[in-house]
Amino acid sequence: MNTNGTLLEVKDLRTYFNTEDGEVKAVDGISFQLKRGETLGIVGESGSGKSVTNLSLIRLIPNPPGRIVSGEVLFDGVDILALKEDDVRKIRGRRIAMIFQDPMTSLNPFMKISRQLMEITQLHLGHTRHQAYDHAIKMLETVGIPDASTRANNYPHEFSGGMRQRVMIAMALSCEPELLIADEPTTALDVTIQAQILELIKTLKQATGSSVILITHDLGVVAGMTDHLLVMYAGKIFEQASTAELFAFPGNPYTRGLLHSVPDPLAEQGELYQIPGLPPDVAHLPPGCPFAPRCQRAEEICKREFPPFVQLTADHHSLCHFAGEVYEESKAEARP
Amino acid sequence: MSTEQTELNASNRVAPPLAGAEPLLAIQDLKVHFDLAGRGNRVVKAVDGVTIDIYPGETLGLVGESGCGKSTLGRAILRLTEPTSGQVLYRNRDLAHLSRREMREHRRHLQIIFQDPYASLNPRMSVGQIVGEPLETFKLARGREADERVQELLETVGLSKRFIKRYPHEFSGGQRQRIGIARALAVDPDFIVADEPISALDVSIQAQIMNLLEKLQREKHLTYLFISHDLRAIRHVSDRVAVMYLGKLVEVADAKTIYADPLMPYTKALISAVPVPDPKVEATRQRIVLEGDVPSPINPPQGCRFHTRCPYVIEACKQVVPPLVEIKANHFAACIRISPHQPDIEKVAPGQAPGLAAAEEAIA
Repeated sequence: MNTNGTLLEVKDLRTYFNTEDGEVKAVDGISFQLKRGETLGIVGESGSGKSVTNLSLIRLIPNPPGRIVSGEVLFDGVDILALKEDDVRKIRGRRIAMIFQDPMTSLNPFMKISRQLMEITQLHLGHTRHQAYDHAIKMLETVGIPDASTRANNYPHEFSGGMRQRVMIAMALSCEPELLIADEPTTALDVTIQAQILELIKTLKQATGSSVILITHDLGVVAGMTDHLLVMYAGKIFEQASTAELFAFPGNPYTRGLLHSVPDPLAEQGELYQIPGLPPDVAHLPPGCPFAPRCQRAEEICKREFPPFVQLTADHHSLCHFAGEVYEESKAEARP
Repeated sequence: MSTEQTELNASNRVAPPLAGAEPLLAIQDLKVHFDLAGRGNRVVKAVDGVTIDIYPGETLGLVGESGCGKSTLGRAILRLTEPTSGQVLYRNRDLAHLSRREMREHRRHLQIIFQDPYASLNPRMSVGQIVGEPLETFKLARGREADERVQELLETVGLSKRFIKRYPHEFSGGQRQRIGIARALAVDPDFIVADEPISALDVSIQAQIMNLLEKLQREKHLTYLFISHDLRAIRHVSDRVAVMYLGKLVEVADAKTIYADPLMPYTKALISAVPVPDPKVEATRQRIVLEGDVPSPINPPQGCRFHTRCPYVIEACKQVVPPLVEIKANHFAACIRISPHQPDIEKVAPGQAPGLAAAEEAIA
């Protein structure tokens, strides 16, 4: 185990796709760290590269058309990108587990729930059928499936969306992974069920000490769940900070716009701030800053030159020519 | 005041936001039941006795979880789904009982915008044809005049008139939703059902569409039924909010009140479940996490439909169907454990049901 408590370190990761439209740089040079026991949120709109980042970490990028062009993914000191496929398989599902948005497409519709859970521990932990079955029931109970020993004999279609997501979580946590990657885990669920699932992830994380990467487009979800945040846009990290700092003093015009464009149920109504224009076409990015065409404070330099990744505080960075000014504006606004 | 209130309670009507205003649409005891083929007499009661007025120029938000019947209610108002019983009064006519031909005439005034902008536009029609089709159908304009009108509509919704010859696949989700809005506006309607119009869109695009709908409402004096599961969006765009659970309305109030002071336990839980984009608020707020899933609308629970998940349930809740009662001024809720004299469920003594008498009266 690493002594400094860093579980995951991603260095200059680049994942490109060959498409009819040309080469798409879906993830283009991102770096970040995750400490043990911490939750990292990755926020972005469609096409920002947040899910491709997630799939790159566990080497699930379909090749072709995709390929990881460069970078390192150091998991507990070992570069996953340099491992043989067999060795990656020993990590995937065992030490790093995943939950996806749509539990129906992630479960096998022809297999009983119990068997899907048993497969994992039989493969990774060498359980006998008997041990695996007992463990499966225990996991279903842990995630709050009522009457688990009966329900284990059901098929996925016999479960509601929320219950299926619980099954997915039970599967993901079967081998007590050190890292759980949850990609939009509650997007397909109703709000009261979302509250149940988020509460469950929080409780289980505290019990097991796992680190979590939570990928979502919902700023409300990350506000209550994460310690650190990455904001992605057009395959780049636009801003990176602790969650409290990023919400209080955003240092990037895109983050500021995003925060302002979410209606706050506790605030007064009125016209909502809107980011103009459309999300970027990643196959045809403009020179300079990819957000410049939608940015209200963009100046000539933004259209011409790619912005620097400016360090604002010890762990707060922003990709913007005017990061310092934006940060000061946010601070001034917060100081009424 | 008190006699007036009793009268309102007795007729179970939801009061106008502005005293004296005539409703644009008066929905009375509307039901949409679907018979299930096969074994037994199984019926899905998707909408089961909804009564509400919608006033000119307002946005009524309709919120609820999947399967609660909110989209079916929106579609039944426009007769896109046939109501089983009840009335939809619009300009002194009952839409629910018009002939198909008469209804088609009325559709000019009553339009809908759908959730999925990918599925609701014909991929083989150009934008000009899509937006222009209603003009032709209702013989509102033709030839040069129709073309000019289409250009004008595209500009109204923030699209360039250069797009007129392009096809739906060439547009992003937000742009397609704008095309859908332009098509709805083509016939100059009074009333638009917006059925989850922003759910499929990115956060930054959601704000654009909400602002566009609000701008159009001001300019064209439109009335909206805004259907969504997104409580933050509903709070933002609505004047009044109606909360639906398993086919019935359970609470109606103005948007600010329903968030600040929800009365019915389901609404309380729903609002507390909404994540707030502020880590400081999230760290301290109490969340009511409901147990279990929404029951099936096939043979829904007896009595109050929420009783299987309600933290405040008592025996009587399993027997008595709670009517929508005006608990505070213009604030209606369906729960027998509260009453106009005891609006705060937290302060009601254990086992007590101050609203029970009113409920039994309403049934009688």
